[in-house]
Amino acid sequence: MNIKEYLLSKKAALPILSFPGITKQGISVKQLVNDSTLQAQVLKTVADSTPSLASVSFMDLSIEAEAFGSQVRFTDNEVPTVIGSIVSDLEDAKSLNIPKVGTARTGLAIEAIKQAKRLITDRPLFAGAIGPYSLTGRLCDVTEVMYLCYDDPDCVETVLNKATSFIIDYCKALKLAGANGVVIAEPLAGLLSADMANQFSLPFVKRIIEEVQTQDFAVIYHNCGNSVINMLPDIFSLGATAYHFGNSVNMASILEKAPSDIICMGNIDPAGQFANGTPESIREATTTLLDSCANYKNFIISSGCDIPPHSSWENIDEFFRTVKNYYGNY
Amino acid sequence: MILNEISTALQSGKAKIVKELVAKAIEEGFTATQILNEALMPGMDVVGIKFRNNEVFVPEVLIAARAMNQGVEVLKPILIKEGTTSVGKACIGTVQGDLHDIGKNIVKLMLEAKGIEVIDLGVDVPPEKFVQTVKEENCQIVLCSALLTTTMPVMEDVVNAFKNSGIRDSVKIMIGGAPVSQEFCTQIGADYYTADASEAAEVALALCQRRI
Repeated sequence: MNIKEYLLSKKAALPILSFPGITKQGISVKQLVNDSTLQAQVLKTVADSTPSLASVSFMDLSIEAEAFGSQVRFTDNEVPTVIGSIVSDLEDAKSLNIPKVGTARTGLAIEAIKQAKRLITDRPLFAGAIGPYSLTGRLCDVTEVMYLCYDDPDCVETVLNKATSFIIDYCKALKLAGANGVVIAEPLAGLLSADMANQFSLPFVKRIIEEVQTQDFAVIYHNCGNSVINMLPDIFSLGATAYHFGNSVNMASILEKAPSDIICMGNIDPAGQFANGTPESIREATTTLLDSCANYKNFIISSGCDIPPHSSWENIDEFFRTVKNYYGNY
Repeated sequence: MILNEISTALQSGKAKIVKELVAKAIEEGFTATQILNEALMPGMDVVGIKFRNNEVFVPEVLIAARAMNQGVEVLKPILIKEGTTSVGKACIGTVQGDLHDIGKNIVKLMLEAKGIEVIDLGVDVPPEKFVQTVKEENCQIVLCSALLTTTMPVMEDVVNAFKNSGIRDSVKIMIGGAPVSQEFCTQIGADYYTADASEAAEVALALCQRRI
């Protein structure tokens, strides 16, 4: 299947929606992130409950760092978080070992994709992976990596090269497991200026895309920072199948600057609307977004980021209903 | 003029140069208060405005604030000798259950750049810790940060902890973080919601100066 053609051929929503399936399954986040079968079942449940253009696996941005040796905190209600740092200088960076794919929970995530692919047969299935700068930030600490970019760029670039190498292997394994693509989340790069992103993030993302993307295996680049607006030409030159933006930017402004063959996705506020909104408020936000963006053929409505685990299904259902009604009348 | 040079070096995050220029300015006869108020703080104000306008980003703010701190370190012994006190005192923390700290760290630096003394309680801070710190340190402002939708309700626990301790009226509670909004602030009975670090610093300064 040509994924890009498929995405452009439909007028429907594709939110980053997977964790809220836990409330339908009656399990905790902690149980989910440590069990591949539960993950596959949750993805299947979400697929059965929604008319999403594709199934999108869990945006758990601790998996890859954990494989490198980072400590991770698990809780019942929240997506796991990396604690502390394992790289603080060039020496640490040089001695950092690139883990084998399958280490820690990466094997579990690959197995989950394998199982989910067998269960979900009516739409593409996208896996999730972290972006290279965001992974480097978790290995060095997200605040410290900002200083290191100035004080010790060699250290950052050494980690980036190792992170990139691992992400490439991980994406290839996800592809082999049956995924039709991967959402690469690079939120930390959204805090950088265009110059810094061009040094510390985009070339590494481009390398990943060149290594793993094919017509039948999409890379969707996710960056939910507000600085993206200043680097759109650089971002679009990555060559990803689609680009996913957060709610800190105006989606219509993005689309105005995007070539018509570049798919842009976004950006209903996940916390403000899906988690803390009401059916009325999400209907209004969705309609407003569609009013400003639906005339762009390269626009796919989505959430601005990963929808939080305990978001209201009333709100999620209302989001899909609003999109369906809107395009029905379009 | 050397004060302008300090401000410019600070805006570029050149910590070592800021430190040297501040020492040189003292030698040239500028007072510590002059250097603070006419070079370091205005330099950081420029960075804050540019940050709000998306002209500079998080790393630039962090290194500028670090340069300012280097300059302040040189001035500190003189300021203490002169009896110069901070504009006000605040404590800041990411609420219990939440380990995200980059937003909190930037807000802290922005407040310090306004001359406010800030006690950093770190991450995963229980409500009682905020209360205890305010009691022990006489803070006028409490700043609570949260990134997660599941931890933002802890901000209400912080407000209630102050109510229960009987000192709610003696402190202003400010909240911020990606999932937080003005509506939520009103709902839980906190005093101020600010959308970014620059605005948080301005509100905190106005509170310390009793302008609001």
